[in-house]
Amino acid sequence: MADPIIIAVPKGRILEEALPLLARAGIAPEAAFSDDSSRALSFSTNNPGISLIRVRAFDVATFVAHGAAQLGIVGSDVLLEFDYSELYAPVDLGIGHCRLSVAEPKALAETDDPRSWSHVRVATKYPNLTRRHFEARGVQAECVKLNGAMELAPMLGLSSRIVDLVSSGKTLKENGLVEVEVITQVSARLIVNRAAFKTRAAEVVPLVDKFREIAGGRDAA
Amino acid sequence: MIPPGLLPEGFRDRLPPQADASARLVRRVLDTAALHGYERVSPPLAEFEAGLVGRLKSAKAQDLLRVVDPLSQRTLALRPDITAQVGRIAATRMAHHPRPVRLSYAGPVLKLKASQLRPERELMQVGAELIGLDSVAAASEIVMVAIEALERAGVAGITLDFTLPDLVDTLAGGPLPMDPAQTEAVKTLLDAKDAGGLAAKDALAFLPLVEAAGPFETALARLRAFDMGGALTSRLDALEQIAAPLKGRVTLTLDPTERHGFEYQSWFGFSLFAAGVSGEIGRGGSYAIAHEDGREEPAIGFSLYCDPLVDAGIGARERRRLFIPFGTDPAISAKIRADGWVTVAALTASDSAEAQICSHVLRDGVAVPV
Repeated sequence: MADPIIIAVPKGRILEEALPLLARAGIAPEAAFSDDSSRALSFSTNNPGISLIRVRAFDVATFVAHGAAQLGIVGSDVLLEFDYSELYAPVDLGIGHCRLSVAEPKALAETDDPRSWSHVRVATKYPNLTRRHFEARGVQAECVKLNGAMELAPMLGLSSRIVDLVSSGKTLKENGLVEVEVITQVSARLIVNRAAFKTRAAEVVPLVDKFREIAGGRDAA
Repeated sequence: MIPPGLLPEGFRDRLPPQADASARLVRRVLDTAALHGYERVSPPLAEFEAGLVGRLKSAKAQDLLRVVDPLSQRTLALRPDITAQVGRIAATRMAHHPRPVRLSYAGPVLKLKASQLRPERELMQVGAELIGLDSVAAASEIVMVAIEALERAGVAGITLDFTLPDLVDTLAGGPLPMDPAQTEAVKTLLDAKDAGGLAAKDALAFLPLVEAAGPFETALARLRAFDMGGALTSRLDALEQIAAPLKGRVTLTLDPTERHGFEYQSWFGFSLFAAGVSGEIGRGGSYAIAHEDGREEPAIGFSLYCDPLVDAGIGARERRRLFIPFGTDPAISAKIRADGWVTVAALTASDSAEAQICSHVLRDGVAVPV
């Protein structure tokens, strides 16, 4: 039998919402997958032709772009950050909704006029996306790459602004920050490795069609 | 100080047996093209920048490795692609040759930047171009030569992915009118099959093109269903004709909006993939060559990149080397070479089959496995 199709799914935020989608696509992972104490990274499913790997969201894109996994589920924020040429994102799964925004301390925001910026110093997990975004509007962004706890950066003087995911805005508020600009809306996408989409079209394309049907049904509901 | 042996990022040495495998792949492809009447041209590694750009209609500015020539004070560029050079030859020194002209080529090309996915900056490109025609017959020949060349090079599990490079422009100019300012953005989104992005850009009319991509037969049926006012009929008929003789020989897919590397192609394009090789191994299609008088000449061709194939172990073959002990009569080794053996002669009495990585050793005039 041919190698199984590997689907990379992210740990964290999106996973909970992704599991019901996988279930509706007829993919049920083995018990160890939902067992938080399990150290396993690779899991079989009820379908011998499909297995799952659970990795960090940013690594989902990397695994799939290199063809180490054929499919993946990942937020559009990650896709924008990497801008990998070998990734297709044929289905908007309609889950994991949030937005990517610029935020700054409340005191700064009161006197700040974004139109006058020429240079900003930003702490973010998304240096490429942030640089591109500001560049497009004629502002040079100096990015400090952090992997978490972005909200601390303005407080401790690491940077005056941050670019981060915002869903309810609660974390920002609790840290004395306000959202000043929305860069983009974010939702989770089904991604496919470009070569796998061609060389394994007979297996991959029906799976993509199935996810498209499921996601489409959600929008209509 | 540069540590000994360190090469610039994206460059590498190929050692035996990979360097041999690479040379073998190139030779097989060129030999196959030669059998179909394609004759070799050999353009230089560097030329004037102005000569390298602008010959093929490209939507995108190319990243070139440039230097100022100390002799002429003009900008030289190292070639990123040999196709444009072949186009230059066809439009200048071979402009008077009867058409179509069939040319083949092989050589290293240089990219300015490497990416994480394609870390090489130097690639071995080999291919063939048919200049003067871009008809269905020409496309069928080029595709067939490409497939045959790969098969002869030992590539198995070939997937041929068809695309229609000028499709979006055709649709935007007819049944699906679009704000020209939006066209580039929509093309990029279609290239990435970014369904969510298309929705955000209000370009949902193009979504069926993303959904159509897949195995050739189904994709063709979906496109025929989508075909508004018959704008695509002739193109789809042409694809069907080109694909017909290849059914069962290679896996066929159709992806109408693929644009990866199809910056200058016109109505027809294809990419090649192989089982066990992670990225694309080659591509081809129709394009136009610009002549000095403003005339545009149709052409069609394909290029293969040997490095991913070599890395996947294709072109490698068993190392059969016969050790000839010190003092053996040269006439005997000559005879044995004529039988097809690779001989490695001991030049000192202390040399051994092991030291020379030989699989066989000559004993009493007979090759014996080590």
